[in-house]
Amino acid sequence: MTLRYSLTLLLLLAAQTAWAQAPLPVGKPLLLEQDPGHYWRASLSGGPGKDGIPSIDNPRFVAADKAGLGTDDIVMGVYLDGHARAYPRKILVWHEIVNDVIGDHNIAVTYCPLTGTGVGFYRGDTAFGVSGRLVNSNVLMYDRATDTYWSQIVAAAVHGPRTGQTLPEVRVIWTTWGRWLTRHPQTEVLSQRTGFARNYRRDPYGTYQPKGGYYTEQSRPIFPTMNESPLFPAKREVFGFRTAMEAVAIDKDVLRSNPVMRFEGKSNDFLILYDEGLDTAWVQGADHGELPDDKALDAVHFTAEGPVADALEGLTPVNGFDAFWFAWYAFYPQTVILDGKNQ
Amino acid sequence: MAKTSKYRRIALISGACYGLFYLYTVGDLNFIGPPGWNAYIAEFSFERMFTSRSILMFEAIAVVEAGYLIWLVSPLNLLVAALLSALLAANIHGALFLRFQTQVCTNGRGGLFAGFLPALLAGGACCAPSLILLVGIPALGALSAVVGWLVPLSLVILGLNRLRQNHQGAPSMRITGG
Repeated sequence: MTLRYSLTLLLLLAAQTAWAQAPLPVGKPLLLEQDPGHYWRASLSGGPGKDGIPSIDNPRFVAADKAGLGTDDIVMGVYLDGHARAYPRKILVWHEIVNDVIGDHNIAVTYCPLTGTGVGFYRGDTAFGVSGRLVNSNVLMYDRATDTYWSQIVAAAVHGPRTGQTLPEVRVIWTTWGRWLTRHPQTEVLSQRTGFARNYRRDPYGTYQPKGGYYTEQSRPIFPTMNESPLFPAKREVFGFRTAMEAVAIDKDVLRSNPVMRFEGKSNDFLILYDEGLDTAWVQGADHGELPDDKALDAVHFTAEGPVADALEGLTPVNGFDAFWFAWYAFYPQTVILDGKNQ
Repeated sequence: MAKTSKYRRIALISGACYGLFYLYTVGDLNFIGPPGWNAYIAEFSFERMFTSRSILMFEAIAVVEAGYLIWLVSPLNLLVAALLSALLAANIHGALFLRFQTQVCTNGRGGLFAGFLPALLAGGACCAPSLILLVGIPALGALSAVVGWLVPLSLVILGLNRLRQNHQGAPSMRITGG
């Protein structure tokens, strides 16, 4: 009996150790303008405690016709392995993280209302929770396997056993429900039956249609930031992308009036294509001098997968996402700002 | 005797209004259309019921939609609201009695005002207390961990103020009788 008990205990301990060391995928390094510890020291409590904002760990989905969304409602869209899913912002504002499974992929769709950022990550066998701490107003997530704290915008661990590591990202598209549905008629939508009692008709910070409260362009951030810039209003929406060498921001209005932009970066050349259907951008990288010319880009059209054309083959997609200007600048004070001219 | 009864009525109504307003500020009560009738339990478990979102703020376990009213039912938030309401009512009753029925030269309202306000500023948002959102000054964001203590602070101040009123001769507030 004692032997059986000991064996069971040993097995349980082994299982627990294996779980604690469950592989969390490691992404390619991305730009960190400061030492990870610097971000941790700059972090502060946002008010609620750890998991005080509960992540959705068992998401349910409904068909598009049951979504109950308005055309202009903002959703975060993910298209992965042929599956399209929309995560309404009005639900995410109360949870900030959805630990989801799409096809064979365990992913986390994350949204920080204070910085206006939606970013997706591969999460391996673990799940993410909301730590309750913020850096530059941006959510610090923690992984439940190692209790490492991860900054959403820089996609890097800033405290804990995995400090300095980067998470691999999944493209999350910030768009409206009407636009997403047109591109992905078969999309599933995150259900309001999240397992939590929340009033999903109310946004505690303000409104997006029209912009009001915290989301107003001119309104100020409510937490201290590491860097400040008066170049744009604090809550101006920019589209940003970064590599290990540099960060680039584009004012969304500039993006809309410049469907094709090029940028000669430190490590690569970048092609930025504006997708009017989703009101977003797709970024492709190539070795210096290897970008296709404008004529070759005439054939580009946008599908569920993104931009498609023979000329784009061989280019490397680079992840990007929308953000409030103040938050982008707070993390990337040396950011390049594209103004629509080739740079 | 008639006046004491009037004080009690004023105190009880004020306490009840305060309780409702507190539930509104922590986000449990909302008045948002379109009107509808619905009620469901999110996912009942005692663990969920006792899960705290912040200090003395707890998870709701059910949703009731009645007309324009949406009520997120959290038994423990209800308990906190009831405690705050009762303490506020007792404070108002004591303040009115001391002001009009005795010759005690006191100002019982100071503690009352200091006590009822903090709890109303503690709740509201998910990622930042409503006080910080309301004021919108970045430097104050650093204080948000402290803001979490506003509800217990209200309870303590209201409790202490009521004890002071007792000491000054304010009677207890009986719900029944004269």
